[in-house]
Parts: sequence; C-alpha cells; structure tokens
Amino acid sequence: MSINAPLPDADVIIVGCGPAGMAAAVTLAEAGRSVIVLDMQPAPGGQIFRSLEANLCDTSPAGQSLLAALGPAYRAGADLIRRFRAFSGACPGIDYRPQTTVWEVRPDGTVGWLQGMNAGYVRGRQVLLAHGAMERPVPFPGWTLPGVMTAGAVQTLLKAGHLKPSGRIVLAGTGPLLLLLANQLHQLGVKPALVGRTDRLSDSVRAARHLRPGGLVPLVKGLGWLGRLKLAGVKSVTGLENLAAHGTQNVESVSFTVGGKRQTLPCDLLIVHDGIVPAIDIPNAAGLRLQWDGPNASWRPATTPDGLGASTLPPEMSAGPCVLRVTGDARRIGGADAAMAHGRVAAQAILAALDHGAGPSADALRAVGKALSVRPFLDAAFPPGLAQALPDDDTIVCRCEELTAGELREKIRSGFRNMDALRGETRCGMGPCQGRSCMVTAARLLQNETRAAGCPPTFRGRPPIRPIPLGAVATLSGLDPRATIRLTLEDKPENASEDTVDAPAE
Amino acid sequence: MNESVTRPAFAHSPGLQPGPKMFSDLAPLTDAVTLSVDGQPVRARAGETVAACLLRAGVPYNRLTPVSGAPRLPYCMIGHCFECLVEIDGIGNRQACLTLVRDGMKVRRQDGAPPALEPSVP
Repeated sequence: MSINAPLPDADVIIVGCGPAGMAAAVTLAEAGRSVIVLDMQPAPGGQIFRSLEANLCDTSPAGQSLLAALGPAYRAGADLIRRFRAFSGACPGIDYRPQTTVWEVRPDGTVGWLQGMNAGYVRGRQVLLAHGAMERPVPFPGWTLPGVMTAGAVQTLLKAGHLKPSGRIVLAGTGPLLLLLANQLHQLGVKPALVGRTDRLSDSVRAARHLRPGGLVPLVKGLGWLGRLKLAGVKSVTGLENLAAHGTQNVESVSFTVGGKRQTLPCDLLIVHDGIVPAIDIPNAAGLRLQWDGPNASWRPATTPDGLGASTLPPEMSAGPCVLRVTGDARRIGGADAAMAHGRVAAQAILAALDHGAGPSADALRAVGKALSVRPFLDAAFPPGLAQALPDDDTIVCRCEELTAGELREKIRSGFRNMDALRGETRCGMGPCQGRSCMVTAARLLQNETRAAGCPPTFRGRPPIRPIPLGAVATLSGLDPRATIRLTLEDKPENASEDTVDAPAE
Repeated sequence: MNESVTRPAFAHSPGLQPGPKMFSDLAPLTDAVTLSVDGQPVRARAGETVAACLLRAGVPYNRLTPVSGAPRLPYCMIGHCFECLVEIDGIGNRQACLTLVRDGMKVRRQDGAPPALEPSVP
C-alpha cells in the first residue's frame, strides 16, 4: 500500500504578523493565493504596531494622549492592518491565526504550531518567515534582577498594557528606540532620572559619512528627540561604560563609568537597550545558513535579495528544495518601512515560484534599497555598547541556567571547544529560552578563547524550539502518514526481549 | 516531601507583598476583569496580558528560579526571554507575556522547579 504525501494546507504560510508579514500576506491574497498567517500576538501589527487597532478605538483622554505620545510612526500601520483584516476570513484569502506559536519549521514547508492546548503541523507550498527581531542580549552585572527590563518591554507595556513606569527610572544603552522611548515617557509626564548613552560624539562624526538623503528624516527626528529631552531638563550622558545593577531582591541602584569616573544612582527601574538584531531561533532550527552581519554585530540568515534561504541540511534530511524565505527585520534590521517594502518583494518572488508573475518588480526592489539606505548611518552612529565588551567572569550569561561567563570560559579552556559540547556539558542554552538570550555571548566567548575568527558558531537548534505541553503532543494534528509509525503494546521492548533477559544473579 | 521546603514564602504568605511600584496606570481601570494570583483577587484590564497585570499589581517576582531560587520578573515582554513563566489554570511554565487575562483565571507564581506530579492547589 502506498501512502500519499499530505496535501498543502495553503499556497503560503507566513510566520509573523508585523509589517513584513502583513504586507506579504496582502500582496499574496490580492493575487488570489491562499495564505495562513501564524502569529504569537493576539492582534495584527507586530511589535511596532502593537495593539494599534484597539488604541485607535480608545477615545478616552488617556487613550488620546497615549496615541499622541506614540506618534505618527505608530499610527502609520493602521492602513496596512485594515487591508490585512479585509482579506482575513475571505476565501481564498488570509487564514489569520493569532496567539499561535511556531515550534518547528522545515525546509520543505512544514510548520509546527501551538495554539492553547492544540498543536499540529501545517504545510505550505512556500513559507515566509516574518517573525521579526529581538533586542540584543546585554549581559552585565545584575541584569537578571527584577526591575531591569528592556526598552521594548516598557514600550509594549505602554501600548498593550496602558502602564507607564514610575519611580526612579534610568535608561541606559544606545539606539533610536532608547531615545524614542525617553521622549514618549516624557510626553506622558514621566521624567527619567538619567538617559545614559553608550554611544559618543565620535560615533556620530564617523557616521556622518554614511549619511544619504534618505537618512535626513531620521536624523532630524533624532535631533528633535534629543532637543526635547534637553529642554525638559532630563539628565543625559554619553560614553557610558561598565553598567551594573545592584540590589538583592530587586534593583536598588545602578552604577556606571563616564569619562573614567564611577557613578552610582538610586534606581527602581533600569531600562536597557542595545539595538535590535534579527531573531534567528526559527532560521537556525530550520537549518538555514546564517551569516555574521559585522556592522550590526549579529547573525542573520543568508538569503537572496528576494529572501530565499539556503538549507544546510544534507539532501537525505529534506524532501525537496528549500521553500523558506525570510523577510523584514528577521532577515535584516531595517525598521517598519523596509519590512513592508521587502514583504512585497518576497511575496512577488513567491508568486513567481508558484508560477504566477515575473518576480519582484524593479519598483519594489528600489523601495527596499531606499528604506535600507539609512542603516549604515544608524549602525555607525549607534554601535553596540552594553554588549560590546565580553562580560566579566562573575556576570551571568545564561539567564535560565544561571551560568556565568567565568564558568563558560573554564569549560571552554578545559576542552569543550564547540557550541554543542559546551551546551551538553554546562546546560548553557538548554533552559526555557533555548539559547535566545545566551547564544551570541557563548559563541563570542568560545571564539575569544579559541582565537577563532569568522561567523560565530551557533547551537544546533532542534524542535520543539518553544515548550509544547505533552497533552498537545499527544493529539498532534496534520502528521505526515509516511513518517508516522504507530507502536502498539505488543511492540514494547520488554515483550519482545522477555526470553533473552538474563536471569538475575542470586 | 516536606511542604515547607518545596513551597516556602508566598504560598503561606497572607498577601502579595508588593515590591517597589515600577508601573502605574495611564488611566483608572475601567472594563476590568478579576483573576486570582496565588489565591488573591487581582484586577486587570480586559485584553491585556497576564504579565502586564502582574506588573501593575506590583508583585515582587513571578517566579523563583529552579537553579538558585533568585526572583525574576518579566524582562522582554515579547516572548523571547521566558522570564515571565507562571502557572496558569494548573499548567506550569506558561509565558505570562503571551497569555491574555480572563475573568476567573487562576495564576500561581512559580517557586523553583515544581514537583512534576504534584496536584495543583487551587
């Protein structure tokens, strides 16, 4: 009896419903293709347009002042979300599945999903990874204390929780998001005790030669933020180094060095940010080739201009060509405009792969180039700061397993000289976060100790890359019948081997 | 197993012992739902996440780590760091930042590594 391969559930599966995923989904749906969109969040928008639909409906004075503080860049997502919603539920159209996590992606287009207590596999003829970015992990002394949070986390609490920070607030780090958040807080009547930037004037001077006409708008915007903070009397320093958070049960104070002088400030909430990097959890576990992005000091998937990834898996482990594309910030940090532009490019490439259309249009490709043209300037103006130097021996690197840089260095020196051996020996990267927070630091420590160069090595990612309840595994839907072996009680090893068991020695 | 060893501190504590108040509401709560956190009623804004609710309530931690018992609160709020793990309606290690509040939801903070087969106390 021959067992047929399962039919695809949709022409295209898109992972992530931010600007890139929505732009691609709309382009594909307009061309009459069936699309499944899987997203962790409860509403479309990704992190940048988080809760935008709900906040636009909020006519209360507090809601209006929040919208005003979040600014026009936040409201800019409204039109795209409206177009996305218009196609969801239509047939063929967009099958939008919110609050759904993805725990496996295979190069052949199979995607493992979890929604509540239900899990399964869906298959797309093509798959587009638009799962976005994460904030760069920043190991420093005290970064695990309650009261240390990322700038993105605080912005999420503003947008989706209508919560503003209170007490003595210190912002530390670098990048546009840090300054944007400081301004948003100020507009909401929250005055930070300090905005401590790791970048220096010399970085801005060096960055100036990367300035293109497309970069003038963000430059003017950034100068405006700085000016407003100065006018508001918010204390600000540049060239901050050696940040540390102190306290026993929560943050009580922070210390840092500026211009060779050590300073200490009382603090209730330390907000850190060191730029954003592509989230590589899914591409790494899918076996896509990664490359090191020097200017952004981060991994990113190696892709063609239209986003097609390259599988590193041996052919016998994959049933056909790689159909995974990566778009948006998951492919390359560029912000919402670049993400939307590349989402359209990737969708046009997918349509061509599905025998429909001629591939990315020159216009669409030009829009990506234009939106990305500001990046060299931003990369140079805001180089990694908090994560620039490798952590001291006492600093925790792996938050889940509470492993310090010293413990990892010692194991590397004693012979655990590749990432998977180091993980197996120490449990670094084996906790609930599966290496999302520690992998880049562990890889840099390994390279530093072994004097290796080139693209830092990663942990081999294996599914499930997010925890999945056993009850959901027991009732997985969408299994491939060709790959399913049903074991019965008669197959249990103790039944088969009963005759050969040695008699116990008495 | 000795109950006081496996479940110290908050299971026996009368209240939620708020930590330093790090977040406050932009506007008074309307349209609120009520969930229980370690048996105490806590109000939340409909449509927000469990993590946001815990931070508004000012809990000093949502879990103690299984390794050293150190306290942790949400760190990234977007599902990457897994610091916000709590027990929700009897299922442990749920990401509070990805779970929306629901009226009557039972949330328990996690105290180290919970014994896997111990029945959940409502």
